[in-house]
Amino acid sequence: MEQLLSLWQGSGLYNLTFGQLTMMIICLLLLYLAIVKGFEPLLLVPIGFGGLLANIPEAGLAMSAAEQAIHFAKPEVLAALAQAVGANTTNPEVLSHLVHDAGPSAYASAQLIAQDAGYANGMLYSFYSVAIASGIAPLVIFMGVGAMTDFGPLLANPKTLFLGAAAQFGIFATVLGAVGLSAMGVMDFSIQQAAAIGIIGGADGPTSIYVASLLAPELLGAIAVASYSYMALVPLIQPPIMRALTTPEERKIEMVQLRTVSKAEKIVFPLTLLVLVALLLPDAAPLLGMFCFGNLMRESGVVERLSDTAQNALINITTIFLGLSVGSKLMADKFLALETLGILALGIVAFGIGTGCGVLMAKLMNKLTKTPVNPLIGSAGVSAVPMAARVSNKLGLEYNPHNFLLMHAMGPNVAGVIGSAVAAGVMIKYLGG
Amino acid sequence: MHSSELISEGINLMLFGMGFVFVFLTLLVFVTGLMSSTVNKLVKPAPVVANKPAPVSAPAAGNNDELIAVMTAAVHKYRSGK
Repeated sequence: MEQLLSLWQGSGLYNLTFGQLTMMIICLLLLYLAIVKGFEPLLLVPIGFGGLLANIPEAGLAMSAAEQAIHFAKPEVLAALAQAVGANTTNPEVLSHLVHDAGPSAYASAQLIAQDAGYANGMLYSFYSVAIASGIAPLVIFMGVGAMTDFGPLLANPKTLFLGAAAQFGIFATVLGAVGLSAMGVMDFSIQQAAAIGIIGGADGPTSIYVASLLAPELLGAIAVASYSYMALVPLIQPPIMRALTTPEERKIEMVQLRTVSKAEKIVFPLTLLVLVALLLPDAAPLLGMFCFGNLMRESGVVERLSDTAQNALINITTIFLGLSVGSKLMADKFLALETLGILALGIVAFGIGTGCGVLMAKLMNKLTKTPVNPLIGSAGVSAVPMAARVSNKLGLEYNPHNFLLMHAMGPNVAGVIGSAVAAGVMIKYLGG
Repeated sequence: MHSSELISEGINLMLFGMGFVFVFLTLLVFVTGLMSSTVNKLVKPAPVVANKPAPVSAPAAGNNDELIAVMTAAVHKYRSGK
C-alpha cells in the first residue's frame, strides 16, 4: 500500500500544477497552429514540443542541476547551496532567486554542489546552454540565411537599403513603448528587456533570439514565440497597413527593370559589408560576420559543398535544437506572466510601425527620385525573407496584373536583414555589459 | 524619478539607434555603388564572359515576348473562367 502511494505521489498527475497544465495547453495550441494552420511549422513544431517536454512535472527537463536540487529541497543540500551563494536562508523559493542573481561564479559552485548531491542538468537545459546561451545556434542559422540570400536585387538598386533602414523604426518605437508602459506602471520592463522586445519588430527570428539571449534571457521564450508567430502572420498584418498608406495610383506604379549584376560584384559585396561592419560597429560583427561568410560561400562558387551544407543540413539541425531550446523557456513560472501579454502586444505594434515606416519611406523616395518607386515594396523592409517580399508582389499584382514587384521587393527585404542586424548591434553596444 | 530616467534612456536609445542605422545603411549605399562601379571597371573579363551568354539571352528576349503573350492569354482565360 505504501509503495502504491509513493508511486502515485511520484506520478506526473499528482504533481501537475495548474501553471504546467496551462502551458501544456498553450504548447498544444502552438502545435495546432503549426501543423493544421501551417504557421512557421519548421520552428513552431520544435518549440511547441520542447514546451511540452519542459512542462512535464518532476522530470525537470528544462532545469539545471541547481534548480532541481532546490526543487526537491533536501535540507542538507539546501544548506550547502545557501552557503555557496552566501545566503542565510534555506527557503527554496528565496534560494532559487538568489542562485540566479548571484553571478556566474556563485552559480557555477551551486551547480557543482547540486551535481555532488546527485542531480544532473535536464536535457533541454543542456540543449539551451549549448545552442542559445552560447549564442551559437542563431549565428549558425544566420550563416545559413546568408548562404540562401541573393544580394543581386539589392546590388542592382542599392537605394533600397534606405527602405530597410526606415523599417527598423518599428524596433525603436517599440522600445519607447515598452519603457513607456513601465513608466506608467502597467508593466515592469527594464531598458534591456525593452530593447529585446523591440527587436521583434525586426521580423527576424535568429536576430531576436540572439539579442534576447544577451540582453533579457528571462524573456526569451515569449520573445521567440511572438517573433515567429508574427512572421507567420506577415500576410495578414501587412496588407491593411500597406493599403491604408498608399493610393491606388501609387500601387499601380511599374518599376524599371533591374540591371544585371556581375558575379564579381556579388563576390565582393559580402566582403565590403564586413569591412564596413568591422570599421563602424564591431558589436554587429557576430551576426553580420556569419551572414557575410555564408553569402561569400554561396557567391564564390568554389565551395558548393559547404554552401549546400550551410543552407540545408546544418540549418535544419540547428533549427531542431534552437526550437527545442526555445521551448525549454516555455515553463509556467516564467511564461505565465502579464509581461508575456505585453510582449505579444508590443511585438505586433513593432511589426505594424516597421511596415508603415517602410511604406512611407518608399513614398518619399518615389517623390524625390526620377526613377519610379512603388511604395508597396517599402513594407518588405522589415526582414521576414521572403514572405514580406511576396506580400508586396501579391498586393502589386492585385492592382496591376502585369506588375511583378517580387524582385524589386527582394532588395529592401535583404536590406531589412542587414538593417535589423545593425539595430541589434547598436542595442548590444548601448546596453550590453 | 526612476520612470523619467527610463523614458529618457529609451529616447536616447531610439535617437542613437535609428541615427546609427541610417548612417550605416547610407554609407553602405555609397560604398556599394562605389564597389560596383570599381569592380565592373576592374574586372574586364566579366563582360567577355557575359558576352558569351548574350547570344543565348538574345533569343531568350525574343521568347520573352512570346512568353508574356502566352501568360497574358492564360491570365485572361483564368479571369474569364472565374
